Amino acid sequence: MTIRYSRHPELRLTALAGEGVVLHLGTRRYFTVSESGLVILEALAAPCTKDELVAAVLARYEVDPSRAAASVESFLSRCRDADLLEEHEAP
Amino acid sequence: MTNRASGTHPVPDARIVSTTMAHRIAVQCADSTVTTRLREWLDAGRLEPPRPLELAITVAEPPPLATADDRLAFRQPSVAIHVSGEPRGEIVRIVWDTAPALAVIGERPDSARVTLSPAAVARLEESKRTFLTTVLVFLLRRVGWHHVHAATAIDPGGRGWLFAGNSGAGKSTTAALLATRGWQIGTDDTAFLASGSGGSGGRVAVIGFREALALRPGGVALLDRLGRRGVALRARGKTGYRPEDLGGQWTPRVEPDVLCFTTIGDELTSVSPLGPGDTLAALVRWSAWVILEPALADHHLQLITALARQAKSYRVTLGRDLFEQHLALEELLP
Repeated sequence: MTIRYSRHPELRLTALAGEGVVLHLGTRRYFTVSESGLVILEALAAPCTKDELVAAVLARYEVDPSRAAASVESFLSRCRDADLLEEHEAP
Repeated sequence: MTNRASGTHPVPDARIVSTTMAHRIAVQCADSTVTTRLREWLDAGRLEPPRPLELAITVAEPPPLATADDRLAFRQPSVAIHVSGEPRGEIVRIVWDTAPALAVIGERPDSARVTLSPAAVARLEESKRTFLTTVLVFLLRRVGWHHVHAATAIDPGGRGWLFAGNSGAGKSTTAALLATRGWQIGTDDTAFLASGSGGSGGRVAVIGFREALALRPGGVALLDRLGRRGVALRARGKTGYRPEDLGGQWTPRVEPDVLCFTTIGDELTSVSPLGPGDTLAALVRWSAWVILEPALADHHLQLITALARQAKSYRVTLGRDLFEQHLALEELLP
């Protein structure tokens, strides 16, 4: 079973010069987001697997794949804690 | 099922009511005294929204909040904001805690249905500053004006400034002292983000609600030293000053080139540039209704982003040195 992630439908995202803010209109909280976090959140506009998110990061930054994977894992974990994500199981 | 079906409040009596539709914000109320006092308040504020709006006021005990899906969305001092409907936030109910009063926004386009109890009418001045200002804030969102808790000004060189911060963060004292140096002042507290010159894709303007600049005793002492006397705002425990009486002018709108997020400090004044992410977050904080009413959030957020893009941003700790040396704030910017 593969898990696909997407942004919570009540999120609004805005960015300026590589830095952003994400609003959660459901929980009424907001967060600042780094440039690499923005890359991941933009990819999450459509459902993505973890591997697809890592690929999105690697397409933007010249980093070691294992480091990109760790970064994605960490970011997803923080997003999950803040209820910013939806998770879908796909065959 | 949304709570639209719950709109079964009695139809107002078929009486002649005083209405002033020539105004951009009409007041409709059977009680001519209430109408007159609110008309004076709104006229003094000089807001000219892009579409006519209406405050439809009934003097009666407000109905209880009975709708099952009403949710408390936010509470600020003396005012509670409930939202309901699908998508979330279509109907906003604003409840005043101080005396029974209720406003319902979203049932009819561009109109707020307000029920003021006789006890609330007896405290109308107080309700204007808290409850009715909140009603106005949510009504103006319908025409694309989004509240920001800020002071605004234009310096003698034509640059627009916005000062955002907590109550007690020096906004009013700064505005008053800048007026003594010939600046134009928009507001010291209640402002609205709006599309400015160039239309919706252009610059962001900040519209000020025109009121006396309301200073606490510390600010009053500074103005006293400059030989400026204000008028006691007894109900607020503050002293009011008009920019015109301080050597400045009032301006209805400011297109900010500089954003200052202020706090008061005991040390020397310090100014540090803010990055784009921190600027966006600060604007969200001081224009916090962006987090309610999803249908309006996108436009609100666009204005916040455009404002962050058009202006340079600074975190400013206002020290006693700055106030005592006659506030040359613009000279401190990098």
